[in-house]
Amino acid sequence: MQAVLEAVAEPRRREILRLVRTTELPAGVIAAHFADVSRPAISFHLRVLRDAGLVAERREGTRRLYRVRPEGFAEVRAFLDEFWADRLDVLRVEAEAEERRKRAQQQPRKEGDPT
Amino acid sequence: MTTVDPIVREVYVEATPETVFEFYVDPRKLERWLAVEATLDPRPGGVCLQVHAGDDRPDSGLFHMEGEFVTVDPPKRVVFTWGFTEPEVNVPVGSTTVEVSLTPEGSGTRVQLVHHDLPPSELASHAGGWATMLDRLAAAVAAEVERG
Repeated sequence: MQAVLEAVAEPRRREILRLVRTTELPAGVIAAHFADVSRPAISFHLRVLRDAGLVAERREGTRRLYRVRPEGFAEVRAFLDEFWADRLDVLRVEAEAEERRKRAQQQPRKEGDPT
Repeated sequence: MTTVDPIVREVYVEATPETVFEFYVDPRKLERWLAVEATLDPRPGGVCLQVHAGDDRPDSGLFHMEGEFVTVDPPKRVVFTWGFTEPEVNVPVGSTTVEVSLTPEGSGTRVQLVHHDLPPSELASHAGGWATMLDRLAAAVAAEVERG
């Protein structure tokens, strides 16, 4: 999971994932998409993504082609679990606050209680 | 299409099932934990519309969850379909189902949420879009780094 997290921590790598999500693209086309990033830097990002198992690399002649490896995101399923876990955590906090508010309304304050 | 095991999450809430139930069927309450905007008609066949914020930029990344209530059994169970109108989310309207069960436990409620029918290729994007999922991952990493 750590490699996956580190791989997607960098915005340009996330951009690359978006580019090759549905189509396989040669490294050159990917690099051309980033006017402000050097070709070696893109190669580095592609290597990180490949090593994290998030993209598949294929050679065709002298070209290297990349596409997203959906199965590489199997670990991310755990992260999606987290989506609901995070939301449910917020639900817990909000529902408990609501419950306290209701109980406070039902039980009039005793005399002398601080407000 | 291959389906995979559902996502199952549970949480204990120190509140009655009645209170928790409202957070699934009352739009103002649902907006406190799940969506930025909700339109809910909590009866079988009624609409369950949720607008989810994709990322931090206010002008972008709004995702429209267009669901329908299947079962509404207060304060025990609520089932609704879960899908997005945005094709890039890859979870078509009506394609998946979220089932919530509330069980009294001690002085509170055990909440179980089961997300059914997620095909594997679509798992990676159901959290409100591919972009969102990746950006959330990045945010989680950043938080970890800050925590040291």
